[in-house]
Amino acid sequence: MGSMYRASKTLKSSRQALTLLFNPVKSIGRDPSCSGLHQAYGFSSDSKQNSREPAIDLTQFPSEKIRNFSIIAHIDHGKSTLADRLMELTGTIKKGHGQPQYLDKLQVERERGITVKAQTATMFYENKVKDQEASAFLLNLIDTPGHVDFSYEVSRSLSACQGALLVVDAAQGVQAQTVANFYLAFEANLTIVPVINKIDQPTADPDRVKAQLKSMFDLDTDEVLLVSAKTGLGLEHVLPAVIERIPPPPGISDSPLRMLLFDSFFNEYKGVVCYVSVVDGMLTKGDKVSFAATGQSYEVLDVGIMHPELTSTGMLLTGQVGYIVTGMRTTKEARIGDTIYRTKTTVEPLPGFKPVRHMVFSGVYPADGSDFEALTHAIEKLTCNDASVSVAKETSAALGMGFRCGFLGLLHMDVFHQRLEQEYGTQVISTIPTVPYTFEYSDGSKLQVQNPAALPSNPKYRVTASWEPTVIATIILPSEYVGAVINLCSDRRGQQLEYTFIDAQRVFLKYQLPLREIVVDFYDELKSITSGYASFDYEDAEYQKSDLVKLDILLNGQAVDALATIVHNQKAYRVGKELVEKLKNFIERQMFEVMIQAAIGSKIIARDTISAMRKNVLAKCYGGDITRKKKLLEKQKEGKKRMKRVGSVDIPHEAFQQILKVS
Amino acid sequence: MLRTTTSPIFSSFTSKPRTSRLIFKAFNVILEDTPPSARRNASTNLTTLHQGPPTSAYVHLPFCRKRCHYCDFPILALGSSVSNAPYEEKQEDDPRITNYVNLLVREINATRTCFDTNPNLKTVFFGGGTPSLVPPKLVSLVLETLSSRFGLCPDAEISMEMDPGTFGGEKLKELMDLGVNRVSLGVQAFQEELLKACGRAHGVTEVYEAIEIVRACGVENWSMDLISSLPHQTLEMWEESLRLAIESQPSHVSVYDLQVEQGTKFGNVYTPGKSPLPSETQSAEFYKTASSMLRGAGYEHYEVSSYSKDEGFKCKHNLIYWGNKPFYAFGLGSASYVGGLRFSRPRRLKEYTNYVADLENGAANWCGDGNVDLKDVATDIIMLSFRTSKGLEVKEFGEAFGRKVVNSICKVYEPYVESGHIVCLDDMRREVMSDEFKKLVGDDEVKIEDHVRYLRLRDPDGFLLSNELISLAFGVISP
Ligand SMILES: Nc1nc2c(ncn2[C@@H]2O[C@H](COP(=O)(O)OP(=O)(O)OP(=O)(O)O)[C@@H](O)[C@H]2O)c(=O)[nH]1
Ligand SMILES: C[S@@+](CC[C@H](N)C(=O)[O-])C[C@H]1O[C@@H](n2cnc3c(N)ncnc32)[C@H](O)[C@@H]1O
Ligand SMILES: [Mg+2]
Repeated sequence: MGSMYRASKTLKSSRQALTLLFNPVKSIGRDPSCSGLHQAYGFSSDSKQNSREPAIDLTQFPSEKIRNFSIIAHIDHGKSTLADRLMELTGTIKKGHGQPQYLDKLQVERERGITVKAQTATMFYENKVKDQEASAFLLNLIDTPGHVDFSYEVSRSLSACQGALLVVDAAQGVQAQTVANFYLAFEANLTIVPVINKIDQPTADPDRVKAQLKSMFDLDTDEVLLVSAKTGLGLEHVLPAVIERIPPPPGISDSPLRMLLFDSFFNEYKGVVCYVSVVDGMLTKGDKVSFAATGQSYEVLDVGIMHPELTSTGMLLTGQVGYIVTGMRTTKEARIGDTIYRTKTTVEPLPGFKPVRHMVFSGVYPADGSDFEALTHAIEKLTCNDASVSVAKETSAALGMGFRCGFLGLLHMDVFHQRLEQEYGTQVISTIPTVPYTFEYSDGSKLQVQNPAALPSNPKYRVTASWEPTVIATIILPSEYVGAVINLCSDRRGQQLEYTFIDAQRVFLKYQLPLREIVVDFYDELKSITSGYASFDYEDAEYQKSDLVKLDILLNGQAVDALATIVHNQKAYRVGKELVEKLKNFIERQMFEVMIQAAIGSKIIARDTISAMRKNVLAKCYGGDITRKKKLLEKQKEGKKRMKRVGSVDIPHEAFQQILKVS
Repeated sequence: MLRTTTSPIFSSFTSKPRTSRLIFKAFNVILEDTPPSARRNASTNLTTLHQGPPTSAYVHLPFCRKRCHYCDFPILALGSSVSNAPYEEKQEDDPRITNYVNLLVREINATRTCFDTNPNLKTVFFGGGTPSLVPPKLVSLVLETLSSRFGLCPDAEISMEMDPGTFGGEKLKELMDLGVNRVSLGVQAFQEELLKACGRAHGVTEVYEAIEIVRACGVENWSMDLISSLPHQTLEMWEESLRLAIESQPSHVSVYDLQVEQGTKFGNVYTPGKSPLPSETQSAEFYKTASSMLRGAGYEHYEVSSYSKDEGFKCKHNLIYWGNKPFYAFGLGSASYVGGLRFSRPRRLKEYTNYVADLENGAANWCGDGNVDLKDVATDIIMLSFRTSKGLEVKEFGEAFGRKVVNSICKVYEPYVESGHIVCLDDMRREVMSDEFKKLVGDDEVKIEDHVRYLRLRDPDGFLLSNELISLAFGVISP
């Protein structure tokens, strides 16, 4: 790092030299970095960018003409659709052009119809208040994800805002993420503008929802806006309310520059793009800025706003939200939450963010052992745009070289896999997700375990205590399902903390649950026992003492490290049996009999066998026509590539994937 | 691991990517290019075997009374007009047969080869379809054409597939007089209900009659085809078929495991392993039963589906295929292997007719130029030789394709030698035991081929899993 810093100071005018100096970093491990930056430097000398005067003059927008707000809501309550309408209304995007949920740009987002990554858009709006002259405002909108896994995206977004549109579905009413996100905004001291959306639906019941907002959040029912993001009904009241109710950003324009770095991503052409919110002072292209956390300094090569695409403005003023490009090599240098200031000035750093906490860990391995390089490259690239994943190299006897990745939740993990596949064309095998445990031994030593394989099956010292992470879960559900849900929670070793009625029909439950119990299939189960009417959210809580054991899976007597899990003692038998059964279904017959066993230490707790394959197609090779037979054999050979060989047993990639689904 | 060690072996050969199967040449261009001298001088080993002139010919006679429910061969069903008139000479006038044979003769005549020498044919195989539906007069025409075009060894093996109910003693005698000396009788099963379920055009009575005719005519070298794992077939039925087959004393038996082919009647209604087809386990049991009963009756199981009474009754023609040696093929949908090129003729009559015309005017050629992808040759050899009880000649294979490949194959096979699926044999065809084999494989200093001469699949367990085992070797050759 130190040498890099010096290099950037002395060689600042010679970008070419910089590129040469910073060879792409190969190793990733704990130290993810991005490469392939050469285009980024090209950008700074792009004559078109340099010669063109910025079309947008930001100086017209002092703080009092600026409003920064997020759109927050429970999943699917219509945040992204509302963002579309607001961008259309302000001419930021053309009506009917582009796809719906314009800001959901990732393929995963489009396929799943969910927002995964918060997106910012700057809009310009002529506000006309009765009897007054219209006046132009600059509005920054941040669309946020609704799913609990991505709530850190919401917190980050909120830190760049003074207000939030709290969107609630008129038929579904207040749901678990509505509550969670409300409190995030509330605790961040933001002004909340409640919006009841989807009032066009036949089952819409805005009055009931208003009552819920009143009783749960003490929001004034007169201030609730009623809209349909679908039809546009009531939409005209939204931005005037934003301008009227949300305060302008509080920064001091004649103070030294102070910016919050709230997101970053890697752009193929520009390199690292930092999303910033200017708290104090102003920034102009060509300025030299320093990053408080890393101590690095850079020249600002490009600065602008998201309109909604990156649009150069040459400057950013107090209270504005935009992007900067500095020729930074890797997103690793862009620590989310960092304070950026003008080099050689001293400023009080901003509070920043609390670090993300990884809830689940899983091994990620190339499906084809030889593709480790490709996987390394893909993970490097992807983590550049998803800093919320932690990555460390690990090796498995069964799967070869790979990575242990930490995720914010299972959806996050799923999305990560899907992006690896779709955006980088890599096929991966992932191991059973686990939560981080702590084990204490009789000699006083402690072991933090993110990979069950790392826990000794027959330890030298006795385990004296084991600890597992817990969460505080919020469940909102129609009262008729309360019994079933309480049963589910106690089956999952939960402890009830709260049980209240939101209104006549809806109940609010709070439980402390072991993280492990909710990580895999809790939500699916909850949905199914409540006919889809329950919503669920959680936040992390402290570790609790627990009776944990390591469950090994053995194939023909040989433990498969990638299949090891840590489970609660009471559940070991059940889980062991389920795993054995699952494996039996997924492992095809082999030429030998395969014995599958689940074991705790040296005690076998479940077993089954897959009898040997009896016969392969004995295709006749009639006449001299051997081409078809040969194709068949080639296909069979290819099929073997989709297998991982563990000892003498071929395990199809799908098996690793499917075993995930065991609780 | 294997990948990195084996791939360079092949990349060091200069191998030309295979060009299109059918090479169209401009009109009036002489097809017979001077062969490259290298080819002429090449000594025969596994990599050049295919370059020599063929001494075998397959002749496809596609006519059948009706299509069997399992069949996906290129055939022409004649319909009911002939179905009940097996002994009459009426078919002789069927213009479809006459026209086809004329076309076939044109194909043979138009065949210009690219070899300096044209050795006489040692084997001819009339397959189908049902060649026994073709009037002897026309068979004679084909044989004469072959003879004048390539020459025919006086002791050539001339086989013909025959269906019960399509020939009488007189016809068979005539065929024998023409030189047909090996009969392959398509019995398939000895149970009326199974024959019916297969859509066969004959019943059990015709089967016994046909066997009687073959024996009465004194055909010494005759084979019987049986199919195992037919729908509704029970182990008892299968044992009965094998017993009756043995009682009728053919010199050769072919036992085919039913293939449920896409697009056939069976393919549309049955799923392998699912009732009424036997389960995988039952079907394996059928295979083992055939192997033990036939061997018990003195037959040698010399290939996955072939059994012969003694050495002399092995099908010489098929041995050419399994030896990866070249052969001609004539007729609808037939596949030839000449000059290293495997070429399949069109399966539709109209396209085949056009093909023959192209051949005559020099616009088509199916003779390879001797240049082949060595990986293809290696996998062909593996696939074919493992079908036979002789197995893969390790030494020869190593000489042709490199010792490293042999080593890698042995490594991959080690667990299967241990499990008994694969048998290793030394020079004297004595079995090399698995712990010794393990030592040989583990020792980089020893040349495996000095100790192991053959690798073969064990009968029946290895044969039963031949696909699995062969594809493992494929993985070594082209990862
Ligand atoms: N009927 C009706 N449907 C709407 C309205 N607004 C949004 N929707 C639909 O609701 C679904 C979810 O909308 P999104 O905008 O993707 O919701 P979101 O809150 O961004 O979802 P996440 O980002 O996954 O949390 C989509 O099918 C929309 O078309 C509305 O006003 N009326
Ligand atoms: C060209 S075929 C038929 C020859 C002749 N028409 C007959 O029926 O005997 C040669 C042999 O292949 C076998 N055969 C054909 N189709 C088969 C299939 N789908 N599965 C297994 N064996 C098959 C039969 O035993 C048949 O006798
Ligand atoms: Mg969204």
